[in-house]
Amino acid sequence: MSSHREAPAIAKDPVADSTDLYAFVSPDARNTVTLIANYIPLEGPDGGPNFFEFGDDVLYAIYIDNDGDARPDVTYRFRFKTQINNPNTFLYNTGPISAIGSSSWNRPQFYSVTRVANGGETTLGDHLACPPCNVGPRSTPSYSVLAQSAIHNLAGSHGKVFAGQRQEGFYVDLGSIFDLGALRPFQNLHLLPLPAMAGVNGTKHLNVHSIALQVPIADLTRDGSSTFSGATDRKAVIGVWTAAYRRKAIIRGEDDDVESGPWIQVSRLGNPLFNEVIVPMSKKDQWNELPPSSDSMFLQYVQHPELAKLLPVLYPGVFPNLAAAAGSRDDLTAILLTGIPSGIISGFQNFTGTTLADMLRLNMAIAPSSSPSILGLVGGDAAGFPNGRRVADDVVTIELRAIAGVTYPLVNPGFTPDGAAGVIYDVEDPSTNTPPVSYLSSFPYLNHPESGFDVPS
Amino acid sequence: MNASRRAFLTRGSLGVALAGAAAVVPGLSAVLKLPAPSFAAPELPATAEPLVAHVRDLASGEVSLMVGTDHVVLRDANLAARLYAAALAPQSKER
Repeated sequence: MSSHREAPAIAKDPVADSTDLYAFVSPDARNTVTLIANYIPLEGPDGGPNFFEFGDDVLYAIYIDNDGDARPDVTYRFRFKTQINNPNTFLYNTGPISAIGSSSWNRPQFYSVTRVANGGETTLGDHLACPPCNVGPRSTPSYSVLAQSAIHNLAGSHGKVFAGQRQEGFYVDLGSIFDLGALRPFQNLHLLPLPAMAGVNGTKHLNVHSIALQVPIADLTRDGSSTFSGATDRKAVIGVWTAAYRRKAIIRGEDDDVESGPWIQVSRLGNPLFNEVIVPMSKKDQWNELPPSSDSMFLQYVQHPELAKLLPVLYPGVFPNLAAAAGSRDDLTAILLTGIPSGIISGFQNFTGTTLADMLRLNMAIAPSSSPSILGLVGGDAAGFPNGRRVADDVVTIELRAIAGVTYPLVNPGFTPDGAAGVIYDVEDPSTNTPPVSYLSSFPYLNHPESGFDVPS
Repeated sequence: MNASRRAFLTRGSLGVALAGAAAVVPGLSAVLKLPAPSFAAPELPATAEPLVAHVRDLASGEVSLMVGTDHVVLRDANLAARLYAAALAPQSKER
């Protein structure tokens, strides 16, 4: 998955498990950037009576690096607090939740947002309400109204925020990809063949919890500017990552758990699938504890990714050129660790400098596409992944194809990608440019969550 | 400091359950005989947050202390030994 349960330790701590990160120039508000950090993987919509919620004991953060050193220049922090309105019932709600402040909702959750920049910390919002989970037509009728009322303006014209349950927007054939790298549409060519069949979206009908911001571009740049000289303007490029933290010490069994000590990072996410597919199992937990500025220690796994060696083995005879390629994959290093410098792709760059760091890099000078391709940059659409990431981008196919060699000629013109590298996919053929998930056309772009009543497990 | 917090300090936060440690930990008995170091008592806040002490290594006297979001690591063999001794004292056992 993108980063759902991607490491042994965090797989046991879903509330703090970052699953996806998105960053894109808002298509309907082009002077802003939308940042979305998802947490809590694979939520079954009917998971009551204790429906999903953010961790009151977790510090969530979204980081912006705007000067290329892979260290935070702008930080948004989120802390949550849950309230119990009626201590004498086991119910999540004691009647229809017709409004976000309804007294029938027994367990509302609120949160604060702070912004840290230039050495100062500013509270942008406090006691902001999350929407309830989508329980069903009796409990949460008019869910879109509830969700809309959970979009809050931030103080000081710093944009708007939403934090709450959303429909999973990331799609992947989970059941197949982790069954020895099988791609159902091409599994007749697998080392252990089965008849080819249509791909399956393994995250269909599942939910997730999103922290979504829509902030002015000027809030993210190093000099506060919001206009750029063009796509080559280095000021236009930011690096983005999210992280979650828990306190160093937790003592259980007191009246309330006692927490103490500094916040310790337990989860991190920049580019989709980095820790999942690039980093070996023995180092995944360590990766989650480190900042992006430490990522040079993982360079070897990007330069020589395990998956690139596995594909020719799993699909005998399908990837002969990839099998013969022994050089360093500097194309992947650029995509994942430095950004793509000017001069590689005409009219495009998202280079943050030579510091090796897994960050989602967004060139904010590139306007949203009027006809977006879910294949992003490899589909000829410079406004999509790996230039940031939009909610509908087919990042699994993009990264599969990149690792299979389609981007290798960018740095090694003598390499000819195998024919299969440009056509493989796992869920739906991206040439139709139709994602298997529907989205909203405005903030927070990820769709309303599936309801527990309509989608029982 | 209330009673429950005192109990927290003496049993919960040390994270040790080493009966007879003084007898089996080399040097502990000698360290326990050292005089307590003298240092000026700082002015303490009226309502203190819980303090978590973690004796990470008795042999080196490495003690980790956490208050609020602060975290300090001391090397104080005497303090480490006294914390052990307090944790192992009969009156400290949870009943």
